[in-house]
Amino acid sequence: MIGDQQRKVMSEQEEKGQTSRAVLSTVLVARDSILVTTCHTRSSYAFTPSTTTTMEPSYRIVPGNQTKSASIQGTANSLGLHDTLRHGPRSLAAEVQTEGGLKGRLENWEATQDNAKLTLRRNIYGMHAPMRLLMERKIVSQTSPFVSAMSPSNLHLDILMGRDETIEPADIFLGMENGPSLDIHEQLRK
Amino acid sequence: MASVYSSTGFDFSNELRNNFMAEKGLPLPKATSTGTTIVGCLFKDGIVLGADTRATEGPIVADKNCEKIHYITESIRCCGAGTAADTEFTTALISSNMELHALSTGRKPRVVTAMTMLKQMLFRYQGHVGAALVLGGVDATGPHLFTIHPHGSTDKLPYVTMGSGSLAAMAVFESGWRANMEREDALNLVKAAISAGIFNDLGSGSNIDACIITASHTEMLRNVEMPNMRVQKERKYAFRRGTTAWKTENVRDLVVNEQITFVGGDAMDTT
Repeated sequence: MIGDQQRKVMSEQEEKGQTSRAVLSTVLVARDSILVTTCHTRSSYAFTPSTTTTMEPSYRIVPGNQTKSASIQGTANSLGLHDTLRHGPRSLAAEVQTEGGLKGRLENWEATQDNAKLTLRRNIYGMHAPMRLLMERKIVSQTSPFVSAMSPSNLHLDILMGRDETIEPADIFLGMENGPSLDIHEQLRK
Repeated sequence: MASVYSSTGFDFSNELRNNFMAEKGLPLPKATSTGTTIVGCLFKDGIVLGADTRATEGPIVADKNCEKIHYITESIRCCGAGTAADTEFTTALISSNMELHALSTGRKPRVVTAMTMLKQMLFRYQGHVGAALVLGGVDATGPHLFTIHPHGSTDKLPYVTMGSGSLAAMAVFESGWRANMEREDALNLVKAAISAGIFNDLGSGSNIDACIITASHTEMLRNVEMPNMRVQKERKYAFRRGTTAWKTENVRDLVVNEQITFVGGDAMDTT
């Protein structure tokens, strides 16, 4: 049913002469649920690979001053807006003014140090060295969404990232509130 | 997980609210420092560590006999000054990591390993983890003594003091320390340094703890000296018999009514 409506929308847009590259969103009402689809969505149930933000190669060991940005990437619900029900009310102006010194530093710490090591490997051994490491990590971190409720530990990933023989505050402090969400629908939707 | 990196383990969701409140003129409550005197001293056979035992919460003494010499490994101990929770948690975490590291390498753990783990962790938190530590121990390469400041800088010295009473203790060390001291001399010097901190600094007090670490043996001397014992009260404050006169006396009988029933015969028909 969704396919039919999509094809109808596609044909309508082709009549209007709009290119499929333009990011248009069409709202379709299908019984109970409201779906937001863009014109080049095909299947919505493929496993999404780990979304890593790419960093440019650098020898920086410590995260620098973060450029302030307020985005709804993390808190967006299926409609594409900030999910007030789950994450509380939000004011982008207040967020842009807030200094995220320690938070940004802690969140980007591992990524920055990892980036430095990968850059070193790239400059010594060639492009293939970091690529192989990243490939292995990607393979190992592709898990089904159903595993996170039962046991959220990924031993292979821990071994590859070198933290299989250390204990971090994250291992001790993360409880049910901050840990991975048990919502399977949300994870499938992503 | 959305990312291959482990999360920080801390929740920053209140940061926005706190910044807003600070702007409006309501500052964050400062985590109070414990006020401490901790010392470490190198002698002929190893290391002597010393600490006082008072934990304060502002102007109030929270713990009269707390333990400030924490266990890292069998031959490595760490004294902690600063925020008590931070020192305890940091030393416990590093102790666990050192044990895992020792199991993985199969060797006796080294003091520099603990020092590197501590300084890297404290640097990552930019000094917000208020832990000023004196780390000392004996490993395969010999005895070592380090200090680690809350922002992550370290020093390697033959005698060190940290905490609010560090100046008083350092004065004693500077006049009394010699290289290659005997065990008794070193212990007396450490006790004198901690006493100087206890009597001249408000944040330090109560008893003296010491720990002597040598290549073969670690000796934990808990409350080796107690210069602040509570004295016995000079007078008795109980009232003597006859201070007040008897007015009335009423003895109440517990037995109100007594009735005896003989239960000898067959009450029930058991044929």
